[in-house]
Amino acid sequence: MKTLFSRRSAFILAGIALLGAFAWGMARSGPLAPQQVIVAQVQRADLAPALFGIGVVEARRSYLVGPTSAGRVRRVAVDVGETVTAGQLLAEMDPVDLDQRLSATGAAAARAAKAIDTAAAQLSDSLARREVAAANARRYDDLGKKGFVSSSVTEGKSQELKSASAQVAAAEAGLAGARQDLARLDAEREGARQQRANLRLLAPADGVVTARDAEPGSTVVAGQAVLRLVAADSLWVRLRLDQQRAAGLQVGLPAEIVLRSRPGQVLAGRVARVEMLSDSVTEERIAQVSFDALPLDVSIGEMSEITLRLPAIRQALVLPSAALRQREGKTGVWVRAGDKLSFVAVKPGSSGADGRVQILEGLKAGDEVIVHSEREIGEQSRIRVVSALTAS
Amino acid sequence: MISLAGRDILHSWGKFVLTGIGLGLLIGATLTMAGVYRGMVDDAQVLLSNSGADIWVVQKDTQGPYAEASNIKDDVYRGVRGLPGVAQAANVTYLTMQVQQGTRESRVMVVGFEPGQPGEPGYLVAGRRLLRGHFEAIADVKTGFRLGERIRIRRHDYEVVGLTQRTVSSGGDPMVFIPLKDAQEAQFLKDNDAIIADRARTAANPALNRPGVPGLLDAVNAAQTVNRSVNAVLVKVDAGATPAAVAQEIRRWKHLQAYTREQMEEILVAKLIATSAKQIGMFLAILTVVSAAIVAFIIYTMTLGKIREIAVLKLIGTRNRSIAGMILQQALGLGLIGFVVGKISATLWAPAFPKYVLLENGDALRALVVVMLVCTLASTLAIRAALKVDPAEAIGG
Amino acid sequence: MDQGIHIEGLSKRYGAGDTAVDALKEVNMSIAPGEVVGLVGPSGSGKTTLLKCLGAVIEPTRGRMTLGGEVIYDHAEGGWKTKDLRALRRDRIGFIFQAPYLIPFLDVTDNVALLPMLAGRANAASRARAQELLQALDVAHRAKAQPSELSGGEQQRVSIARALANQPPVILADEPTAPLDSQRALAVMRILNQMASQYQTAIIVVTHDEKIIPIFKRIYHIRDGRTVEEAGEGRQIS
Repeated sequence: MKTLFSRRSAFILAGIALLGAFAWGMARSGPLAPQQVIVAQVQRADLAPALFGIGVVEARRSYLVGPTSAGRVRRVAVDVGETVTAGQLLAEMDPVDLDQRLSATGAAAARAAKAIDTAAAQLSDSLARREVAAANARRYDDLGKKGFVSSSVTEGKSQELKSASAQVAAAEAGLAGARQDLARLDAEREGARQQRANLRLLAPADGVVTARDAEPGSTVVAGQAVLRLVAADSLWVRLRLDQQRAAGLQVGLPAEIVLRSRPGQVLAGRVARVEMLSDSVTEERIAQVSFDALPLDVSIGEMSEITLRLPAIRQALVLPSAALRQREGKTGVWVRAGDKLSFVAVKPGSSGADGRVQILEGLKAGDEVIVHSEREIGEQSRIRVVSALTAS
Repeated sequence: MISLAGRDILHSWGKFVLTGIGLGLLIGATLTMAGVYRGMVDDAQVLLSNSGADIWVVQKDTQGPYAEASNIKDDVYRGVRGLPGVAQAANVTYLTMQVQQGTRESRVMVVGFEPGQPGEPGYLVAGRRLLRGHFEAIADVKTGFRLGERIRIRRHDYEVVGLTQRTVSSGGDPMVFIPLKDAQEAQFLKDNDAIIADRARTAANPALNRPGVPGLLDAVNAAQTVNRSVNAVLVKVDAGATPAAVAQEIRRWKHLQAYTREQMEEILVAKLIATSAKQIGMFLAILTVVSAAIVAFIIYTMTLGKIREIAVLKLIGTRNRSIAGMILQQALGLGLIGFVVGKISATLWAPAFPKYVLLENGDALRALVVVMLVCTLASTLAIRAALKVDPAEAIGG
Repeated sequence: MDQGIHIEGLSKRYGAGDTAVDALKEVNMSIAPGEVVGLVGPSGSGKTTLLKCLGAVIEPTRGRMTLGGEVIYDHAEGGWKTKDLRALRRDRIGFIFQAPYLIPFLDVTDNVALLPMLAGRANAASRARAQELLQALDVAHRAKAQPSELSGGEQQRVSIARALANQPPVILADEPTAPLDSQRALAVMRILNQMASQYQTAIIVVTHDEKIIPIFKRIYHIRDGRTVEEAGEGRQIS
């Protein structure tokens, strides 16, 4: 009797266990199972929106140092990384025959100076001759009037005076010409000297050499850089912001800069300039962010992540951004009222840095919305509210 | 009248249940196999559903973006957006790759999407949506990534800010969602060595590095590194428009291929997983035959063990109907236990599979019918043997 | 016609033509209600064939059989009187086998009650009948036991109870004492005698057990398919 009883009960127990497990399996895997969700309440809170973008460290002032005319590099005095001061000789171009031309114009000028002397001497000689001629002409004129000499003699002496005067004029012109010649040659020499000085590439401002693009002996064309300089104190970050998420961008916003080389360190900065033009191809806005304190050994071209802090919105209606869903082309949230679910279209505003989003229209404080769910939700979904989804 | 089958089962229930469990595991394997197939189809379906699109615009003459490679310029969407009937159009990229998290690697499909546009995951199980335009990721829970973890895709680290569920590629790889621009870069970015080698190659080309044209080389290098391609444009049509008509319009005027949801399903289900489906179908058929054979053998053996009892039963006047009923009931009972055990075991081990296994209740119901049918068929063999037993055998040993 | 068993000219031929074997040749037997008769003979003598014919599991080739006052077989009149031989066996013939052949998955009560149940009686009535028989056979205390838990003697007593369950006019016992020692064999024989007189049942006991042969008042010897009736010792069981 006992054995039969135990046998039967064992069998029944096993059957119940099997059926229980079966029911559990059906409830777990089938559409019968209610889906787990996490809900949150719409509440009023301060929302601190933030903009995020990536940027590249650039120099606000950078200089390309190169010759103004084609030539060969003769000497490069500095190397990449060297700090230079304004006016420092950085490189020199090969003058080729410029020095020779300089000394040739010098010699020519000297000769011109001599030519001035000669002309001056000729002038004084011709002046002397004119004085004699003038005295003779006066005397014969008097004699001619008294009739001592014939009029033809008088006319001859007068003619001599005119000739002497003309010679003076010619000598004066010769002197002026010699002086102009000298001025021309001086100017020419000055030009050559300046050209010579232009071959010496000097630092236009204090800065750091960032590139040495040509070595001695190489030929560069006019405008090609031999060296590149940047002003070390003018580094800033060129920030690119997605147009979609650039609302509120303005000069003076505080920025948090994280350099790729120092992922753990947040550097303070500020938006220094906002460019009017945005990149229409990449659909990004561009702004420059300057460092409050320039870090040492930051490298140009280094990538950085920048978070801009916008002024907080006081007492905004907020909810977690994960609650927003797209349904039939509308943005909205699932609102739970008792056991009923309804999709409510909302107008989202700014997003906070903490993942919350401002709701401008559609909800009121205290509304309970579904944030996380295991599956897509519909009006007919059966839900069970949990504090954390098992899957996560 | 008492139930002979029930009494027999009760008498040797241990053996019976053990046999049922053994059979159940086999049925569980069969159910799982069906679940694997359903899972593959479902993977394809959720891939399409999750993208939230009505039309997929891809490179002309391709069946992209899931079944074939497709590249289109990323400004194409603007033209598509302007067509009548189009409500939303968004670029999207898909790239299957290995993603690193610490020392661990996961095979994932990286999806580049634009927030608020088609292609965005519809719901999250944890965390938040992408907030920044860069370096944030939403991962499927199957990747094993957790909130706050940093994962590496190509050369950038991304922070996992949200988790989603059941977002997989048609191959079952879990998805990782990142901003479109990052994805574009990741998809076409070469490794550093390749970039440097490319630059050197360009510099060595006299046509691209002319001595008299400063800046040309830089311009060429810059042009080479910029990528302006995406894999597809996802289109959502206006409430009043029919996807097929809009797709036709796109094909005609934009010289691109456009697929509607039905066509995409056709590509994914009928073409992409057709071979696997046949493979599984074969396996399913074999498993069914094996299960049927095993049930038949078990019932047959059980009946042969009772030949003498059956002879006595016949001798003392038990009807054939009762004896056949006993065997049939036992077979069905065995099938029922097997089915229940199979369903439970399949439910238990299905989540452990690396790819999604979808156990449909409809399939379970079909399986129950098949199991019962197979058990009935299998029991006929034993019933024939039992009916052939001569009651005279009980007399005179 | 009176109750009991009457066999007239019963023959059984296996096979046909040259290879035909006559297992029974014109057998005549007559057993009164309440009488226990021995059927003795060597192996192959035809006693099992006779039992099978009486048990309505094989069809004789000639002759006539009457059980409990009713003709069940008459070759001259077209063979079996009923098509439903199972109902015939169930209602009119009790079987006791060499081994008890209890149904292992039924308990003692249900083993006995199965017959009335098969005959269409209600479960409760059937079990009550079984209980009554078990009481009479002194195994009521094992009513809920499984057959495998019983001793050999107990099993045989349960099988006797089963044979009596539908109150058949006839019980066919096929070497019921073979596996038992002499004391138990005699006990079984005593029970059979007792039951025969109590329920007015005609009992044929096939045996070659020397221990019990002296008990029978009447014995049919069977050899080469023919029976010879002789008087037994009719010894009382002490």
